[in-house]
Amino acid sequence: MIHFDNVTKVYANQNRPALDHVSVDVDKGEFVFLVGPSGSGKSTFLRLVLKEERPNSGAIHVAGKDLARLSNFKVPHLRRRIGCVFQDFRLLPNKNVYENVAFALEVIGKPRRFIRKVVPEVVELVGLEGKAHRMPDELSGGEQQRVAMARAFVNRPMILLADEPTGNIDPATSIGIMKVLDRINRTGTTVVMATHDAAIVDSMRKRVVELEDGKIVRDQSRGVYGQAY
Amino acid sequence: MRANFIFSEVWIGLRRNLTMTIAVIVTVAIGMALLGIGLMINAQVGSMSSYWSDKVQLSAFLCAKNSPFDACKGRGGVSQQEKVALQKQIEAMPQVDRVTFENQEKAYENFKAAYSSNSVFLSAVKVEDMPESFRVKLKNPDDYKAVFDALSGAAGVANVVNDQQLLDRFFGLMNRLRSAALVVALIQVFAAILLIGNTVRLSAYNRRRETGIMRLVGASNLYIQLPFVMEGTIAGLVGGVISAVLLMFAKIVIFDSMQKFFALATQLTWSDVAQVITLTTVVGVLICILASFVTLRRYLRV
Repeated sequence: MIHFDNVTKVYANQNRPALDHVSVDVDKGEFVFLVGPSGSGKSTFLRLVLKEERPNSGAIHVAGKDLARLSNFKVPHLRRRIGCVFQDFRLLPNKNVYENVAFALEVIGKPRRFIRKVVPEVVELVGLEGKAHRMPDELSGGEQQRVAMARAFVNRPMILLADEPTGNIDPATSIGIMKVLDRINRTGTTVVMATHDAAIVDSMRKRVVELEDGKIVRDQSRGVYGQAY
Repeated sequence: MRANFIFSEVWIGLRRNLTMTIAVIVTVAIGMALLGIGLMINAQVGSMSSYWSDKVQLSAFLCAKNSPFDACKGRGGVSQQEKVALQKQIEAMPQVDRVTFENQEKAYENFKAAYSSNSVFLSAVKVEDMPESFRVKLKNPDDYKAVFDALSGAAGVANVVNDQQLLDRFFGLMNRLRSAALVVALIQVFAAILLIGNTVRLSAYNRRRETGIMRLVGASNLYIQLPFVMEGTIAGLVGGVISAVLLMFAKIVIFDSMQKFFALATQLTWSDVAQVITLTTVVGVLICILASFVTLRRYLRV
C-alpha cells in the first residue's frame, strides 16, 4: 500500500536530511505507529506520501502508483484515496459538523444525494450522532478531532494518515479517538499514525516504526513506544 | 462539478473583500470606458476620412459687393470678365482635376443641407449672403500648394479654403484626444491588474483554511482555483457593464452633439458603439481572468 525504497529528503537551506535512505513497506489494512522525537522525520514521511513534497532520491509507491511518475494533474486523485487527520483538527469554523464533513465531498464534486446519504453514516461512525448541527467551537477537543476523522474517512480512503491526532487531547479522551481509528482500520483502511504518545502506542500493540534523525532505527510488528530501556 | 457550491464560494469571497472588489470594478470601468472612447474616436475619424476622401476640394470664394476680406477692399463684387479669366486660369493648371462654379443659389442649398440640424443658424442666413465660388477638385489633395497660392493672389478672389487643411486640423485634434484616452486607459489597465492581483492575494489569504482542506481531500486544481478566477471575472464583467453605460452616455452626450456642432457629416452609429462595447467588455474580463490566474500561481500552491 505504501512502499518507500531508499528514500532521502533534504529540505532546501538545510544540510541534514529529514529522511535518510528510508526503506519501509506498509501493507494493505495495516495499522502502523510512526514514533520518534520531534524533527526525526515523521511529518516528512507523511508529506511524501501525499506528494506534498518530492524526495531527493529513492522511489515511493502509494496505492500502486509510482509518485515520481504521477503528474501534478493527477495528484488530487491520489489524495482522494488518502484521508488526513492533524493535531490541530483544521475544521472550518463557520461550518457545522455536517457541513465540515460534507465539504470534503462537495469539493470533489460528489452529487448532493450521495452526500446526504453518506455524511450521517460517517458522523455516526465517529460517535457524533445527534451533534451534526453543532458548530466546531461548541465541541470539545476530542469531539472536534472526531469531526476531522469523519471528514478524512467520508470518502472511504484506502489510507488514513494521522499526524499526532491526540497531541492536543487529554489521555482519557485520546482512548476514544484511538477506538475510532481502530474502527476505521477494521474496515480495511490502512492507518499510519505519527505520535509521541507512549501510553497509546503501548496499549495498542500494533506495528511500530521508530525514526531518529531521519533513519529507521526500529521496526517491530507488535511493538511498544520503547523509551523504557 | 457543483455549480451552486462554486457560486456560493464566489459570493462569500466577493463580500469579504467588498472594498477591494469595488476598487477593481471602478478601475476596470474607467479603464475600459477610456479604451472605448479611444476606439470610438478611431471609428469616427475612420468613417469621416472615408467620407471626405473623394470630396476634399479647394474652394475659391469670390468677392461679393460688401465682402469684408482684405482682397476685396476698395472694389465692388467680382466682374464677369474676372470670373471667366479665373475659370480659364484654374483649368489650365496641371494639378487640377476639374473645376465647378457654384452660384449663390447652389451655395445656399449646400449650406442648408450641411446645417439642417441647426435651425437658428439657417434662419439667420439668406441667399444673398452666400458667396459665389469656384470648387476645385485636385488630382492629389496633398498637392494643393501651387493652386492655393495662385488663387489666393488672383483678382476677384476673396479667400481660398482648403478642405484638406481643415480636415487635417480636425483629425489632428481627434488623434491627440484618442492618444490621450488610450494612454490613460493603459494606466488604468495597469492599475486594474495590480488591484486584481491584490484582491486575489487577500482572497487567497482569507480562504487559506478552505483551500488547504480542499487540497488535502483531493479537490482538483480547477475546483480550487475557479472561485478565485470567478471573483475576478465577475468584477471585470460588472466593470465592463458600467463602462458600457459610460460609453453609451459618451455617444449621446459627446459624439452626437459634436456631430451637430461641427456638422461632421458622418455620425457614429449604434452598431459602432455596440462593437466597441463588446470589445472593451471582452478585454476587461480577459484582463481580470489573466491577472487572477497569474496571481493564483504565486499565492495559491496547489
